[in-house]
Amino acid sequence: MASVFSPPGFDFSNTLRNNFFAEKGVPLPKATSTGTTIVGCLFADGIVLGADTRATEGPIVADKNCEKIHYITDNIRCCGAGTAADTEFTTALISSNMELHSLSTGRKPRVVTAMTMLKQMLFRYQGHIGAALVLGGVDATGPHLFTIHPHGSTDKLPYVTMGSGSLAAMAVFESSWKPNMSREDALELVKTAIKAGIFNDLGSGSNVDACVITASHTEMLRNIEMPNERVQKERQYGFRRGTTAWKSEEIRSLVVSEEVTILGAGDAMDTT
Amino acid sequence: MEPSFRIVPGSAPKSASVNDTANSLGLHDTLQYGPRSIAAEIKTENALKDRLENWEETQDNLKLSMQRNLYGLHAPMRLLMERKIVSANPHMAGLPQSNLHLDILMGRDETIEPVDIFGGMEDAPPLNIHKDMEKKLNM
Repeated sequence: MASVFSPPGFDFSNTLRNNFFAEKGVPLPKATSTGTTIVGCLFADGIVLGADTRATEGPIVADKNCEKIHYITDNIRCCGAGTAADTEFTTALISSNMELHSLSTGRKPRVVTAMTMLKQMLFRYQGHIGAALVLGGVDATGPHLFTIHPHGSTDKLPYVTMGSGSLAAMAVFESSWKPNMSREDALELVKTAIKAGIFNDLGSGSNVDACVITASHTEMLRNIEMPNERVQKERQYGFRRGTTAWKSEEIRSLVVSEEVTILGAGDAMDTT
Repeated sequence: MEPSFRIVPGSAPKSASVNDTANSLGLHDTLQYGPRSIAAEIKTENALKDRLENWEETQDNLKLSMQRNLYGLHAPMRLLMERKIVSANPHMAGLPQSNLHLDILMGRDETIEPVDIFGGMEDAPPLNIHKDMEKKLNM
């Protein structure tokens, strides 16, 4: 009798082989985490989210300008730290589920709904999905800001940081955050916090992304500050024509002969 | 499953079974799956796999147990009867099937789960129509 329950969706048929290898001394390759600075803070009219744009693969920078602020719904965004694939997949799945849910209830989606969906899913996977998220948005009940850790625990706070650069960013927040800031002050604070992470943490770098969410609309400020632009090279490194002499030159056309035949010319309908 | 108030699947006692790899004679199919090592099967940590496979069943069991205690045995019995009626499937085993009525009864008609994304033709093991039909009819 087939089971009425849906299967987990992941294939575990390699666990026996992997355990055998692990016993023989060949460990599983470690999933690399992004190393990130992501922040969120509450201000007078809503939420400001911020993120750096570097994705690392061990000691190598895999992506110099990646997007870490993911779309959940029009008024809710989520920054993701941890394993890049896990954050992208999780936020995309929750975004689809939120859309279905809001179509089913007929109401505007709420931040707590997204938070509950995320935390229940991450708890089910016991932390094997390495996604540390900062979820923020403004809904009918007001602005809300949550963090969700990979094992499923959540916090609701007025200002949060996650990722390898979280301590640098939190130091900035702890010294300068005040309740009911203006939009300019909040944005400046978020930019300073992300820059602290960019300059003091190896896992974070490149540019600053920000997102301002208010009750009326959401503004995505991609690459709002680029403190790491490449300096233009001082010298030209192209070779001028004539640097290397060549002995002989022969130009051949690879087309020997060309004949154009028009096909389908007699396809017109026969109206005789 | 026996009635219980568990929210999260408990760790089942380790066991080695021939369920997945049995051939038509009932033994482990060495030709298809390779030599069998019971020690390896016992020692393999399948904590996450067991948790994920039993997750829905455990939570469903919680709800059914509560309904049994509140309303009487008929409440979960009718729900289980409806599910069984709806799962009677005349189609060929092995091919991808969707059961919308069952999805509605199980409450997953308006959600997307990883199984909807990863369970497709690209990822599934190769079709074993004969084997699946045997399994289905000899059940």
